Amino acid sequence: MKLSIFSLKKILFQGEALSLNCKTLMGEITVLDNHETLIGVLASGIAKVIDNGNQEHFFEVASGFLEVKESNEVRCLVD
Amino acid sequence: MESVQNLKKRLKSVANIKKITKAMELVAATKMRRSQEIALSSRPYALVALDLLANLTLIEKRRGLKMPELLEQRKIKKVLFVLVASDKGLAGAFNSSLFKKFEKYIAENKQHYEKEEKIFAAVGEKSFQYLSKKHWNIVKKFVNVGDYTAMGQVQPITDFIITGYLEKQWDRVVVFSTHFKSALKQEAMVRRVLPVDFDHVKETVGDIIPQTGKFAELMKKQNLVFTGSEKSEKEYVIEPTPELVLEQLAKHLLFMQIYHVILEANASEHSARRMAMKTASDNASDLGQTLNLQYNKVRQASITNQIIEISAGAEAQT
Repeated sequence: MKLSIFSLKKILFQGEALSLNCKTLMGEITVLDNHETLIGVLASGIAKVIDNGNQEHFFEVASGFLEVKESNEVRCLVD
Repeated sequence: MESVQNLKKRLKSVANIKKITKAMELVAATKMRRSQEIALSSRPYALVALDLLANLTLIEKRRGLKMPELLEQRKIKKVLFVLVASDKGLAGAFNSSLFKKFEKYIAENKQHYEKEEKIFAAVGEKSFQYLSKKHWNIVKKFVNVGDYTAMGQVQPITDFIITGYLEKQWDRVVVFSTHFKSALKQEAMVRRVLPVDFDHVKETVGDIIPQTGKFAELMKKQNLVFTGSEKSEKEYVIEPTPELVLEQLAKHLLFMQIYHVILEANASEHSARRMAMKTASDNASDLGQTLNLQYNKVRQASITNQIIEISAGAEAQT
């Protein structure tokens, strides 16, 4: 899936990814390929991204939003 | 004619002034570039947030849900004006043009605001000074917003605005700040930030790119254009509830807007200061040249005088 993570300072991640794991207000979720469309509010925690090369990336999240779009595209806004 | 010593003293002080203004010019130029860069790096975030707002408001409207308070229009009784100016002076017409714009706006909208109570908040030492001189009702002053705004510095300002709004201390928030058009041109402008609405946020986001210069081309290359989403309406699963998401988003958008307004004011301040300092050092070097000429003339005159005296003395001896 195509994943982009934006913060106010810069673009943290942009590219293909296998999974995204993060905390939302409703609990921890993992977004995989072809997830259903979703809008959620992120809670503070660590977001973990596994990219296509099986590399793990970690991002700190204080608050933010998660949007899963229908075209297998995921966008995150984090602070 | 002035004495040689006096001229020399003046020449020296002019040279010193030139050095100082030159240094300030260079510092302001670097700071301007930095703050412009910071302002631009938040652009993708702003666009995505705006897109999300567009989607959510569509959904809310379709489902006929109640809008959160921050997005709702209510009857306006009190208006909060926020004036964003600088802490320090020596920035040319930067502050005065903002205040002029403010006065003009108040005069133009006099009828409109007659019935409404006016409340003021000052960002920057200069705007506080201005407002207190006019005896407006200032509720809060924020200073030391810094050369480059950090998010932590904007947080208290947004918190203050939001809390006051939710407690009904004011029903509308209008911000006066300087829009950074290019390094040579800045413009004072008025923006309404609360209640949050799509068109107003879009306006702010659109303003993020300067119209000319290095960064304008950069933005074109990155192809970050907001399309204004009226596209296919899909059903989203919204967690936890649409209302809560919208409320959170409204807060984020307000924060982003204020953050941006202040960043832009920063960039404008630095470039205004750069211009002012450039003129000052140009003037200093002009003045230095004239003084130098004058100094040489005086020196030459005194030498001629001395020679005349000597030769006259020598003649008298023979």
